[in-house]
Amino acid sequence: MLQERKFLKGPELRDIDDYDFPGFQKALEMGPEAIVEEISKSGLLGRGGAGFPTGKKWELAYQEEGENKYIICNADEGEPGTFKDRYLLDERTLKVLEGIMIGAYTIDADTGYIYIRGEYSRQIEILEETLQKARKAGILGEDILGSNFSFDIKLVRGAGCYVCGDETSLLNSLEGMRGSSRSKPPYPISKGLYGCPTLVNNVESLACSAEILNQGAEKFASMGTEESSGTKLVSLSGDINFPGVYEVEFGSASLQEIIEDLGGGSQQGQEIKFIIPGGLSTPIVPSDNLQAEYSYEGLQQAGSSVGSGGMMVISTAQELSDILTRIARFYMDESCGTCLPCREGNKQIYRIISEAKYAGLTVDRLNLIQDIGDTMQEAARCGLGRSAQLPIGTILSEYKEELIEGGNLP
Amino acid sequence: MQKEDTDILLEMAHDIQDTYGYIPEKEIAELAEKLSESRATIYGALEFYSMFYTEPTGKYIIRICDSISCYMNNSNEVLEAVQDYLKLEAGETSDDKLFTLEVVECLGHCGEGPVMMVDDRLHTQISPGRAVEILSKLH
Repeated sequence: MLQERKFLKGPELRDIDDYDFPGFQKALEMGPEAIVEEISKSGLLGRGGAGFPTGKKWELAYQEEGENKYIICNADEGEPGTFKDRYLLDERTLKVLEGIMIGAYTIDADTGYIYIRGEYSRQIEILEETLQKARKAGILGEDILGSNFSFDIKLVRGAGCYVCGDETSLLNSLEGMRGSSRSKPPYPISKGLYGCPTLVNNVESLACSAEILNQGAEKFASMGTEESSGTKLVSLSGDINFPGVYEVEFGSASLQEIIEDLGGGSQQGQEIKFIIPGGLSTPIVPSDNLQAEYSYEGLQQAGSSVGSGGMMVISTAQELSDILTRIARFYMDESCGTCLPCREGNKQIYRIISEAKYAGLTVDRLNLIQDIGDTMQEAARCGLGRSAQLPIGTILSEYKEELIEGGNLP
Repeated sequence: MQKEDTDILLEMAHDIQDTYGYIPEKEIAELAEKLSESRATIYGALEFYSMFYTEPTGKYIIRICDSISCYMNNSNEVLEAVQDYLKLEAGETSDDKLFTLEVVECLGHCGEGPVMMVDDRLHTQISPGRAVEILSKLH
């Protein structure tokens, strides 16, 4: 039976007096270049959803020159079905702080930001208190732990916009503008906050980095598969008996095992129709494919991706049309409205899908959604617009007959 | 000109809203002056964010998540009960200015749905009856 593999998870870690920041101490001994090498060697991929190699990101940020450099911890967790960063902020607060400090020391940033979603009021309180205590204890401030490294962190509350989790939108938001995305390039690594080199990392990536320095890249790389190192925090929700955040070693389990052994199976023994494995911007995996291995390559083979690790289980008891409407509405509401494909595309998809509930879904309409979705995937500026199509499109193609026959859509 | 990073609009706006419950016009003018921006720019930025209000709201802001994990755990029943009790649709404020009702996307408690937030206070695994009970104690 599948067990959790605890690398990131652990007892509550919030009391600064009881923690000596071993990962950061090691970082100070190693120096920036060795840290970059260690993180690269670990094979850690960004845990926010995009999966860009963290070591590479740090290396590029380290190489950038500039009078001011910034590090940003992206705690704007808003992907439906995802709540693992909240777990880390709640329970492993000091690991997150340590990860930010290591990143800052590596790229030589003197100011850091934690951009946290405004709805996380409890976590905001925890972080405010933690930062205050860290300053008092000399963990933040001038010449930290006797080194010549000085660094401080500002906590910034977001205000209810999912798109600000996109790193370029987050930068605009921090600069006091509307949280619209920016065209890339230039990438934030070279021209980020206020035009300066900026490293933006997800909460889990930073906590992972702290543990990698603490426990060693070898230990991290020894877990998982060749292409998917380490463990991943999986947020389980939906029609499942034991929802929650579970830590899963890549390659150690199938989707089915995660659902059965960790999640206790589907609620009331209902039949699973499909799952969304990585938050609302990943393609669905139908129930006949749940033997797929939980890893980047395993999920890719199954036509989906790891994404944020927000795994939602949907049973046959659910109305497909209601699920579709909610996904479409989410993207329509959360589009920042800057680029036309995303702004208009999501609006039209929502319109067709919500009308279909009464007017029925025809082959023509399905094709139209597909066409709009493909255009968005090609032409939208940021990840929000480009991935909106993924869950909707895969539901439509997988359950086409059911939807057109009107099984769920009268 | 490179901007200073000392004044962050989001934080300033949150502080104002924590004081007044919304962001009044005179404060927008002050923000504009402090940040050397036009009032229109500040107003435009604030309007982007669903948590900022430029008009007075109810004393309590009720947020109910209707994202798919909460929906699968019957958030619509909670929402219906609350709408019936408050006689409000999403986005409306009650005549006595006590409640503003918002239907929101994911609040990050997908494993504990349905979820209702009353200002900063979060209630998880809430039943329709419990939701109404909580609201009935607010005045």
